[in-house]
Amino acid sequence: MRDLSPISRCLGFACILAVLVAGCGKGEGNAGGGGGEGTEGGTLRVGAALSLTGSLAKEGRLTKLGYQFCQDKVNDAGGVSAGDKKYKLAITYKDDKSEPDTAAQLVDQFNDSGSKLILGPYGSPSTEAASAVIERNGQVMVDSSGADNAIFAKGYRNTFAVLSPATSYLAAIVQAISENANPKPKTVAIISADDGFSKTAAKGGEAEAQKQGMTVVAKEEVAEHTTNVSSALTKIRPKKPDLILVSAHVEEGIAAVKQSNELGVKPKGFGETVAPPTPDFVKALGKQAEGVVGSTQWTPDSEGQDKIFGTAKDYAQGFKERFGETAEYHSAEAAAACLALALGVEKAGSTDPAKVRDAIAGLETESFFGPIKFDDTGKNADKPMSAIQIQDGMPVTIFPADQAQAKLQWPAG
Amino acid sequence: MASVSSATAPAGVRAIGPRQLVLGGVLLAGLVVLALLPQYFLLSSEQRTMAGVFMFVALAQGWNLIGGFAGYPSFGNVVFFGLGGYTTAILMAKSGVAFWLALPAAAAVGVAFAVLMGLPVLRLRGHYFAIATLGVAEGVREVVVNLDGLTGGNSGITVPAVGAKAVTSYPGNTGFYFYFLALALLATGVVWLVSRSRFGYGLRAIAQDEEAAAAAGINTTRLKVAAFALSGLLTAMAGAMYAFQQVTIYPARLFSVDITVLMVVMAVIGGTGTVIGPVIGAVLLQFLSEWLRTNYTDLHTFIFGGIIIVAVVLLPMGIVSFARESWAHRRISLLDTIRAYRL
Amino acid sequence: MTQFLQATVNGLLDGGLLALVAVGFSLVWGVMNIVNLAHGAFVLIGAYIGWKLDSSAGIPPLLAMFVAAAALLGVGYLVQRYLINLVVNAPIWMTLLLTFGLSLVLVNGLVLLFTGDFRSIPTSYGSDGLTLGDVRIPYGRLIAFAIAIAFTLGLVWFMDRTRLGLAIKATGMDRGAARLMGVKVRRVYGLTFGIAAGLAGAAGAIYGTVDTFSPADAGGFTLQSFVIAVLGGLGNMWGALAGGLLLGVVQAWSGQYLGGTLINAVAFAVLVTVLIVRPAGLLGKPYYEARVEV
Repeated sequence: MRDLSPISRCLGFACILAVLVAGCGKGEGNAGGGGGEGTEGGTLRVGAALSLTGSLAKEGRLTKLGYQFCQDKVNDAGGVSAGDKKYKLAITYKDDKSEPDTAAQLVDQFNDSGSKLILGPYGSPSTEAASAVIERNGQVMVDSSGADNAIFAKGYRNTFAVLSPATSYLAAIVQAISENANPKPKTVAIISADDGFSKTAAKGGEAEAQKQGMTVVAKEEVAEHTTNVSSALTKIRPKKPDLILVSAHVEEGIAAVKQSNELGVKPKGFGETVAPPTPDFVKALGKQAEGVVGSTQWTPDSEGQDKIFGTAKDYAQGFKERFGETAEYHSAEAAAACLALALGVEKAGSTDPAKVRDAIAGLETESFFGPIKFDDTGKNADKPMSAIQIQDGMPVTIFPADQAQAKLQWPAG
Repeated sequence: MASVSSATAPAGVRAIGPRQLVLGGVLLAGLVVLALLPQYFLLSSEQRTMAGVFMFVALAQGWNLIGGFAGYPSFGNVVFFGLGGYTTAILMAKSGVAFWLALPAAAAVGVAFAVLMGLPVLRLRGHYFAIATLGVAEGVREVVVNLDGLTGGNSGITVPAVGAKAVTSYPGNTGFYFYFLALALLATGVVWLVSRSRFGYGLRAIAQDEEAAAAAGINTTRLKVAAFALSGLLTAMAGAMYAFQQVTIYPARLFSVDITVLMVVMAVIGGTGTVIGPVIGAVLLQFLSEWLRTNYTDLHTFIFGGIIIVAVVLLPMGIVSFARESWAHRRISLLDTIRAYRL
Repeated sequence: MTQFLQATVNGLLDGGLLALVAVGFSLVWGVMNIVNLAHGAFVLIGAYIGWKLDSSAGIPPLLAMFVAAAALLGVGYLVQRYLINLVVNAPIWMTLLLTFGLSLVLVNGLVLLFTGDFRSIPTSYGSDGLTLGDVRIPYGRLIAFAIAIAFTLGLVWFMDRTRLGLAIKATGMDRGAARLMGVKVRRVYGLTFGIAAGLAGAAGAIYGTVDTFSPADAGGFTLQSFVIAVLGGLGNMWGALAGGLLLGVVQAWSGQYLGGTLINAVAFAVLVTVLIVRPAGLLGKPYYEARVEV
């Protein structure tokens, strides 16, 4: 282990300089966007940092489909009009590897290349990280999937979410069951994963349950991403709750139902956030999934229509024709976010971020996704969430009453 | 210890001669270039990317001290990163402390934890040491997640950076470029000083044969813990800056084993136990990672794993040593390594 | 009391399966002083093989696990013989980095082939269970437990009673001396790694019947294998069994009495404590730590 000879040190340093300069040279190529904010030659360039790889790759892909669908429909209708000019909408995608700090870095890169208008990444952590950068750079972001209320409790002014906030995920389920179940459940146990979104949703659900006159007999937390919730279920079993609510993601949701059956925990029904509407849920659980109630941001039966997509059913049909896949809510919320951005630019009559920001803040319109109206923290607080139940292996809308396709089966399954 | 005559003085402790002046000049020129880059050549987001490179230089140098010089491969160095970051975030968010006070506090936490952890854990060798450090890092992460009243748990914690609540105004991408550059220079400088000092030679002795070093009178425990503490100091400072830069931090990221592995790979590929090795490793791998992510989005982790495998098999001694050996023998032979190390 | 018993039963059942997951890891570390960070990836490959055979060919998991074991035996042998053997004499972190790179390649390969979706292998008896008093013992996990114990006992018999097993143990004790006795060390290493991978694969196929899995689970399996290997003592099959059962029970109890979110913290605390207090583990011999390789 001798010390380095001077020659190698020189060589080493020269190498570093060379790499740095090469890296910078590469960087120059990145700087795009001549004219007005993100526009060049009649194209409005919008940036989207998405989880195309990593743990959230699946949801990222679905979000991308939603953005793409919106881009196609908007351009088919002639593009986005800003004042007397019409721009073709062009969304640029970059992979954030499902990492929040990469998402933040990419938003910075978009800023440098002139894209001031941004469509949100997938998931609350990445959205939260991006929103900090958006605020500093004076960009504007419409968030399609970051539902955690915490994002909107920081006093940021430039981030807007089209989806219903986290607090309504479990609350909608409680309401749906409470209104339609006969006999109404009296006791409730809540299992929550320990990430921010799940904890916020659990709090919302607990509040709603108490409002509806139910007693919360147990509240257990489990580690995020776990597939083993047996300790929580063992503690819940002796309390024999009528209803078990699970505020978590797909793997915890699947585990809760599976292990309940294994351990002989038999409530009259389950209500879970996020997991039930996903195809993985029914595939993994088979018959055990019957009767589980879930909530979703959107179904093809949602109320409302707009000039780009039409009604929810029109959206579903168009989506299926374009991509050959059944429309589900991740893509729908993404398309709605893109729609809100386009409408904001139109209303502002310009692509200047400050004007667009104010225009979006003042938007009040209905859409295939439901009502879009942002409160002063940027949340779309009035939009209702729908509740579904797995019946015959398919998620079926059961709430709100005017969208319901079927009645709630209670006791479930 | 017997006194050391000038004839056997450690190589590198030389008088200042013309060679040193030329080297110094080159280094100075390089520094000037780096200082001017942001203003004239780099976009704001590129400065952010460079800040990331500098951060990994500092992290790799930190690992180099304990893993390269002392030969104790820590697989849990990220624990200092996370502790430094969380100390800073908690002080700034909950107690309204300015960043310039939170930074030394984070460094102190890093040193203290290194000593606390080092005393029991540095008694282990080889794989056992690596696993123990990994266990500590993962365990501390779980504790941070569970102390969610203090740390926010998995919901993360936010450093106030905008508006009236911001205690220290946010330096922006340019500011962090210079902060991380300063840290990288500090880390490299520390390693350079260590490499030329008795301390460094003691560490190298420990790496080669700890029993013999102890027999020669070196207080191995003291040196090992000191190296670990120094490593913890640098890593915690990087974590502190990172927390401020990111504004919102989560335990999964701040204590991620991927960060540890990256710093190890960078130090190893560059050349452990050398001064410039980790710098080369960090710069090379960060740019490689960015390039892969942009051009091979779906496959980038797959390819990265493949590159690690190839690099470990062909260049386990690192680029710097390989370059030196090739220069000395005037031939490049990658297969020699395999012949030397295989079963 | 019921909750304590139920938690203990849960812990033992899970622990038995964990023991099978970890026994190969412990074998490789003990015999060859190689920490295989790609171990979790092998488990997952086994699970996917089991899933694919079940969903495409209707082969029941109890049969599929032998296929998975055989496939991974081959893969493991090749990986060791032609890849890891190249760095065996290098500084120890080389094997750590090499196997880490390997795990990245394998896990991402799985993602590319199968996507990140969650899978599971349904069984007809899955959710039914035995009810003893107030304690419920699910059949699925009971059968998985029994199979895991059977495999581990099979491994013990193999190591003690066959020539190959003795060759493996000899190589583990003193590689140079084994060579002098005519043992073909390169092949033995390959076979040892292959056996470890095969056991991991079988464990994976069984695991697929009791829990859902996705490529992201690989790291968790590797970490649990660490804890069990250290807890039980390296290279010791009974140790892996004891370690697995103990870890399973400790995790179940901490979930029951400390809260579900602390389970992992407790596992790591156990790991670090054992390493500091008694690195040889419950049943291991201190010899292994001090070993010098030729």
